[in-house]
Amino acid sequence: MLDKWLPFLIYGSLALAIPASMIGMSFLFATKPQRRSRARMLPFESGVSTGPPRQQRFTISFYLTAMLFIVFDIEIVFLYPLAVILNDLAWFAFLELLFFVAILVVAYVYVWRKGALEWQ
Amino acid sequence: MTEAWWVSVIKAVVIVNVVLLTFAYMTLVERKVMGRMQLRYGPNRTGPFGLLQPIADLVKLLRKESFFPAASRDALYLAAPVISATTALAAFAVIPFGAGWTIFGQDVAGQIIDVPIALILLFALGSLGVYGFIIGGWASESKYALLGSMRTCAQLVSYEVSLALSVLGVVIMGQSLSLTEIVAKQDATIWFVVPQIVGLLTFFIAGTAETNRAPFDLPEAEQELVAGYHTEYGGMRFGLFQMAEYINLITLSALCVTLFFAGWHGPFLPGPIWFVLKLLAILFVFIWMRTTLPRLRYDQLMRFGWKVLLPIATVNAVATAFFVVLID
Repeated sequence: MLDKWLPFLIYGSLALAIPASMIGMSFLFATKPQRRSRARMLPFESGVSTGPPRQQRFTISFYLTAMLFIVFDIEIVFLYPLAVILNDLAWFAFLELLFFVAILVVAYVYVWRKGALEWQ
Repeated sequence: MTEAWWVSVIKAVVIVNVVLLTFAYMTLVERKVMGRMQLRYGPNRTGPFGLLQPIADLVKLLRKESFFPAASRDALYLAAPVISATTALAAFAVIPFGAGWTIFGQDVAGQIIDVPIALILLFALGSLGVYGFIIGGWASESKYALLGSMRTCAQLVSYEVSLALSVLGVVIMGQSLSLTEIVAKQDATIWFVVPQIVGLLTFFIAGTAETNRAPFDLPEAEQELVAGYHTEYGGMRFGLFQMAEYINLITLSALCVTLFFAGWHGPFLPGPIWFVLKLLAILFVFIWMRTTLPRLRYDQLMRFGWKVLLPIATVNAVATAFFVVLID
């Protein structure tokens, strides 16, 4: 088991080491500024500085999108294993797939009619 | 076929470097091709044909001042680009690029790792990369960065659904989630681009959105958002975000080649060369699209993802299932 994953472990640690070392190098080789002015450290505001947006609110659409993602991602999680063995189970699997998708279509139509797919 | 551990180490070093080199020269090729398409030269001052441009860029990025916005959360601010770049690099591990060889009596497999869940592993690593973007935007405590990261996140999760659904047809036909088996199946039967042309188109469009490429580059719409989630980043930290994006693009193109164009299979030439040729062709299409198509509006983007792409991908999957069962 571990034997199989060992190459990925080696490759993965390399994939972690390279970006991490680049962050290190961004400290090591950085040019020192002549003097540090306060204005330089402020977040970019294109003129008007209002400070960091601690209490900023977002459109409800972002949250709706997140919820929709969970619903439809579950669909995928269930469909993948079925797709692998679809050939062995033949018509039974296809009917199961159809049944499952039909339930989702009901939810999808509901969400569509409620206007949750429109960006506001 | 099992490799000795030191073969794996050598191979990992080689592959990482090849991927990074592809990324470096992808930036140059993109600028050159875009330049030519817009009737100008593109970079041509550093070395012959501007070939040293990526190296000059690297040196420039490393020499930039080490910079923190005053309000940023330092540890997370630094961790975000590393998360993005690491997951992007690691995802390439499952892509098969050759049949596997025996060199000096040592077995060398044609990919870093061949697991039965390769496709899911790749998607999982891709999804983890979203954390880098959202943490980066949030930790820099800036209006534009935060807005940009929220947009990125919403866009990525929306199109991920269509992306994963669009390859369902391929999984049904390949009867496996292992990329090597899908490639072998295509060589034995037919390139999946023929029966899965709808799947390919859906995959390609959703993939463009997943990698924040034009015309879906809303997360960094510079006219409205300055630069998106990496507004407050500079130097090599910004470079790491760019690296993550380009490597995601390379991995996605490689996945496209693997799933729809029979991976490394092809006549006459050895496997890896075919693989690279196909990969370059797909990457060229991405550059081409960037110079051709204007950017969408954000509401158009979301509507298109949920109301057009998702139903098409679902119908494609169901239709594929129907025909596969019918023919058997």
